Amino acid sequence: MNRESEHPSRDELLVMAYVDDELVPEQRELLEQRLTQEPELLRQVTAYQKLEVLARHNAPPEPTDLEWERILSSPTHQAGTRTGWTLLCTGLIGLFALGCIATLQADLDALTKALILAPLFGFSVLLSIRFRDRQRLLPYDPYTEVKR
Amino acid sequence: MIVATIDVLPGYEVVEVFGLVRGATVRAGHLGGDISALLTNIVGGEVGEYTKLLAEAREQALDRMTAEARALGANGIIGTRFTGTEIASGAAEMLVYGTAVKLLKI
Repeated sequence: MNRESEHPSRDELLVMAYVDDELVPEQRELLEQRLTQEPELLRQVTAYQKLEVLARHNAPPEPTDLEWERILSSPTHQAGTRTGWTLLCTGLIGLFALGCIATLQADLDALTKALILAPLFGFSVLLSIRFRDRQRLLPYDPYTEVKR
Repeated sequence: MIVATIDVLPGYEVVEVFGLVRGATVRAGHLGGDISALLTNIVGGEVGEYTKLLAEAREQALDRMTAEARALGANGIIGTRFTGTEIASGAAEMLVYGTAVKLLKI
């Protein structure tokens, strides 16, 4: 057995104490300074915060919850949901592409085409950037683990 | 950190009052969640996506409020109240506020 895995490192203990609000103000301030410079430490803090958030919901689930989860995890539900989303997303992307092609091929002057396509592409670019930002921030958002 | 909705905690004495502390957040679900919610609206029942969204907002606002109290040196918050409103469709705004205090066990 790995001895290292049995005993948390000094940093891990520090992070646990930080999340549990057990540090004195000086230690807290020092750790918060380190968090601004050490992404790995920040990741550890977020992981422990997620655990803490989950721990608040460790009460046994109500029977209705269990029943609800049973229905949601059934193969029929899973397959139906996957198929539905795939068809919907494919259709929407296809429609967007078709709309762009139709606009380009339409009997319109260049300015009109540009005015139609510019907001569409602008929206796509903004959406992509927002999506990228969200993906990058997601590991630091412990609240996504909250169920209800 | 004790967070309570009551103003007087049995077994504790308020030895210092730091004043108002609050935490707020506005969280939005993703489009997929909104579409699922729309489908639930048609057939009825609990809109799970929005229940989760509201719970996320509640926990985040609560954590922000306790962080503010902690920064003031408080070890308790009394008279805690939750309030919510709708800024945008499909987004949950949650505001939680209370009075940060220093509590001493009697």
